[in-house]
Amino acid sequence: MENFKLFWPYVSKYQRELKLGIAALIITDSLTLVVPWLIKEFIDVLPEKPSSGILLEYTFLLLLIVLFLVVGRYGWRMYMFGPSRKIEFDILNRLFSHLLTLDRAWYLKQKTGDIMSRATNDLRAVREFIGLGVLILVDAVFVIITAVGMMSWINADLTFKVLLPLPVISFLFFYFVKEIGKRHKAVQEHLALITGQVQENLAGIRVLHAFVQEENEKRKFAALNNEYIEKNLHVTRMFGVFTPTMVFVMGVAAMLSLWLGGKAVIAGSMTLGSFVAFNGYLMLLSWPMMGIGYVFNLTQKGMSAMSRIREIFTAQPEIISAVEGTGSVGELGDIEFQGLQFSYPDADTPSLKEIDLKIPKGQTLGIVGVIGSGKTTLAQMLLRFYDPTAGALLMGSRPLKEISLQKLRGSIGYVSQAPFLFSTSIRDNIVLGRGSDLEVDEIVRIAGLSKDVARFPKGLDTLIGERGVSLSGGQKQRVALARALITKPEVLILDDAFSSLDSDTEDEILRNIRDQLNQTTTLIISHRLSAVRDADRIIVMDAGQIIEQGSHASLIRVEGIYAGLLQNQSLAKEMEIFL
Amino acid sequence: MENMSDRYREWVLFKRVLAYLRPYGQWVVLAILLLLGVSLLNLAGPYLTKIVIDDYIKVSDFKGLDVVAGLYLAVLIASFVFQFLQNYLMQYIGQKVMFDLRSKVFAHLHKMSFSYFDRNPIGKMITRVVNDVEVLNEMLTSGLILIFSDLFTLVGIFAVMLYLDWRLTLVVCTVFPLLAWGTRLYRVRARDALRKNRAHVTELNSYLEENLSGVDTVQSFNLEKANLDNFTDINHNRLKEDLRTVQYNALYMPSIDLFSSLAVGMVFWYGGGRFVQDEIQLGVLVAFIQYLQKFFEPVRDLAEKFNIIQTAMASSERIFELLDTPEQLPDQVPPHPGFKMKGEVEFKNVWFAYNDENFILKDISFSLSEGESLAIVGATGSGKTTLVNALCRFYDIQKGDILFDGKPIRDINKYDLRRQIALVQQDVFLFSGNISDNIRLGNQQMGQEEIESISQAVSSHNFISSLPFKYEQELKEGGVGISSGQRQLLSFARALASNPRMLVLDEATSSVDPETERQIQSGIQELTHGRTSIIIAHRLSTLMHADKILVLKHGEILEFGLREELLQQKGVFYKLCQSQLQSQRMPSENAGG
Repeated sequence: MENFKLFWPYVSKYQRELKLGIAALIITDSLTLVVPWLIKEFIDVLPEKPSSGILLEYTFLLLLIVLFLVVGRYGWRMYMFGPSRKIEFDILNRLFSHLLTLDRAWYLKQKTGDIMSRATNDLRAVREFIGLGVLILVDAVFVIITAVGMMSWINADLTFKVLLPLPVISFLFFYFVKEIGKRHKAVQEHLALITGQVQENLAGIRVLHAFVQEENEKRKFAALNNEYIEKNLHVTRMFGVFTPTMVFVMGVAAMLSLWLGGKAVIAGSMTLGSFVAFNGYLMLLSWPMMGIGYVFNLTQKGMSAMSRIREIFTAQPEIISAVEGTGSVGELGDIEFQGLQFSYPDADTPSLKEIDLKIPKGQTLGIVGVIGSGKTTLAQMLLRFYDPTAGALLMGSRPLKEISLQKLRGSIGYVSQAPFLFSTSIRDNIVLGRGSDLEVDEIVRIAGLSKDVARFPKGLDTLIGERGVSLSGGQKQRVALARALITKPEVLILDDAFSSLDSDTEDEILRNIRDQLNQTTTLIISHRLSAVRDADRIIVMDAGQIIEQGSHASLIRVEGIYAGLLQNQSLAKEMEIFL
Repeated sequence: MENMSDRYREWVLFKRVLAYLRPYGQWVVLAILLLLGVSLLNLAGPYLTKIVIDDYIKVSDFKGLDVVAGLYLAVLIASFVFQFLQNYLMQYIGQKVMFDLRSKVFAHLHKMSFSYFDRNPIGKMITRVVNDVEVLNEMLTSGLILIFSDLFTLVGIFAVMLYLDWRLTLVVCTVFPLLAWGTRLYRVRARDALRKNRAHVTELNSYLEENLSGVDTVQSFNLEKANLDNFTDINHNRLKEDLRTVQYNALYMPSIDLFSSLAVGMVFWYGGGRFVQDEIQLGVLVAFIQYLQKFFEPVRDLAEKFNIIQTAMASSERIFELLDTPEQLPDQVPPHPGFKMKGEVEFKNVWFAYNDENFILKDISFSLSEGESLAIVGATGSGKTTLVNALCRFYDIQKGDILFDGKPIRDINKYDLRRQIALVQQDVFLFSGNISDNIRLGNQQMGQEEIESISQAVSSHNFISSLPFKYEQELKEGGVGISSGQRQLLSFARALASNPRMLVLDEATSSVDPETERQIQSGIQELTHGRTSIIIAHRLSTLMHADKILVLKHGEILEFGLREELLQQKGVFYKLCQSQLQSQRMPSENAGG
């Protein structure tokens, strides 16, 4: 019922077309029923030795009927399959737009593959349910009723006897469809296992090859694969009985009609033409009989697919954007954390605790700490992927909830260690559809990317492939920097953004940024202490808390954790400064 | 119009797919024979009707009717059995072929070198192994079989009709050129629409996937509106081709009705005329009408199956593209299994580039004797990891040579080589399974006691014992719940369990607590003990334990030699040590950097 409520508007938009389609279908079916009758008339008239003119009349009558039939058939195909495609189009657009509004907390619980499968496979099932399902249902019900009606009219007694085996089909359907569904599910689940195995294998391929595990993995894979065969054949055994049984039952009906009908003709209670027509109608029944089961199947699939799509539609983001105010939101460069605490959904321990921090506009904050100490979580709070569990976060003296997401995120340039690039050109990745008047070349220079771009065959218009595969790690990081800088953001977050660059390049880029964006509030997260040395303030994080803060010099004087980190600073990092 | 080279390419693809059926040749033949049987048995109905009308009804023979009914039932039962067997057999063959193909693709992936995995996203490779093989199976089992059964039915009906009355058959045949013409018109257009449609679907799916995977980025940069517009555009392109396909089908399918009715009309007119002249029996006319109705079913069916086959063709093309990617790093000489490494290593003027002439390693030469340890130091991007990759032969070097016990690396079976080198990477990958599985990897013979004593040796036993399920603790994908220091310790146990002759260690840079740090250090001591070892060093303490030091800068060797000698030379390494020692003693004085 819920499904119906959600999907009905999409269907009702094309009500007119669908009604037209159903009408065309009924006309087609009616004309189809006329054909066996015509054949009956023809056969009954033959023994009277008709003239060739009469024979020609029959031929033309047949062609005339068929001509209408062809038009009708064209009509229902266009007006039933067409709208179902358009409905799919509408739903998919709506789904895409809804997906982009959902927040991190939701995505964290999903697998991309699963969402993809809902947007493709499940949507296809819905389309087939709407297009094919309705079609077959209407077709089957109409044809069964009318064909059986015609048969009864010809010979009621014979009809009853001939149709006696048919309920077996319905019975079979209820049993088989359920059982096949169950077995089919086992196959699907096993396929997911195989996918998982392949995925893990490819993700860990470097380790597997280093430890020469190829043969072993092949063996494991073969075992999994073998099991898959078994499960598939399990389904096949069911299907193997199912389809032939249907054919068999229909065959028995045809046999009865031939046998008992033949006797009736001999006994004189039925003409030969009627006998042939009776057989013709019986033949018309075979497809709708199977069709009913097919509808059952489509409905079952369609319903569960609808539920799965509905789950996405009913998901709502917890992060709700403030409505854009009068536009006087003002500058966001002043940042203040007030006793902020944050836990990830379903996490036992908070990831950020008692964060009190002020970053005045235009200043630079360095953030250091071991992996997992909460540096990235802290910085990303500004982008409002999550709301704080307790405490507050203000920008430009306003809580984030009062700033529209568009304004907020538009004011922040965030550069991560492993940036996500789109499979377009370098230029498009930097501009990201934010206007054509942007000075890409200048930004490319600031980001230290000029030399690299010059080496590409098509310069800035070089396509970089899926996720930017054709770029090196350092190039990706600099493209990400350029796309963050190009709008001259009020707040810039560099989240270990130069980890793949050597320290000379890093220094040069940091210098460029300082020269160009002296009004920008900057947060620098780095494992390389050289990157934060010149920051106005440095905080040291551990287990979600700020455990030390101050300038580089003052922190060293304290001889606490920061001094220790510097001391313990790995050799290679020191090398970078040294060599 | 239809492109000859396209046709040729599809034919070649088709033949390659069929080649996978060869190992099951006799089964395939049997399945086809069964299919032939089923198709012929299905043709019995109208013929029996003819017999009933002409031979029994006409002479009022009740007995004969009973015989025919019995015969019909026998035919039905036979058909049932044949169908079941054929169905099962074909599915069985399809599954076997799928198994073969999937195993082959999987194995082939494992023959690729790291540069292949650098270039190809994981998702794409998974699609090859899982989905594309699945689609191909569908074509083999349902598509191919239906083609055969439809073909048999067509030929069978044609033959029976010829037998019943060849003149009427020939007259009816005049419809065929029309049918062939219509089919051709349809096929060319439908193929074009399907192809374009498929390209749009691929585009649509990758765009969707990209937006889902990068949803953070999309939202951070306020791209929701712009991307929805793009998506709608792509979706609209697809809809256009979808509707085109619908329209072609809507024109073609009814046209078959038209042709079939034309044929029936001819039976009315020509057949009826001949009946009037007593040249043909009534039963034959009835059988003709029934056969003609059956005749056009397969034609329609073939058109419907066209879609499946087109999709399968695309899948098979992608699978073969992968299988045709030549194995990288093939062993050139016949592999010499049983290469036992003593542990001498020599790099002789080694040059290496991942692509083109962009050399990452430039003229690297150094040597290590059995049991010696070497520490490599250098900045990020100086080529340290690349050197290790070349050593394990994950990539082939372009110039120079690498020798193990004096033997060139290309003359050694690469699996033998890797088996005797344990590589401990900085980013430890844990597989799903428990701790013990992750230590022993494929080595099923390794007992629990052995695993524990190994873990004890590399100081990982303590933390494992503190886990709720100890060695049976299940690790989820990505190894959540275990700290980076602990993962490092686990990887040491894994390395030791393979009992290597040589150890290569990319020391982790991440900071760990002092206790773990101490455990890691002692783990390294144990691992390197008595083994030739190469350590990419990030800690001064590691440097101080190494026999030899190699300083890399921009892919070139800045300094190489025994640690003691380098210290006496007072070069880069000496200054580095000095600076480190100084900063450890008096951190504040080094503050300026």
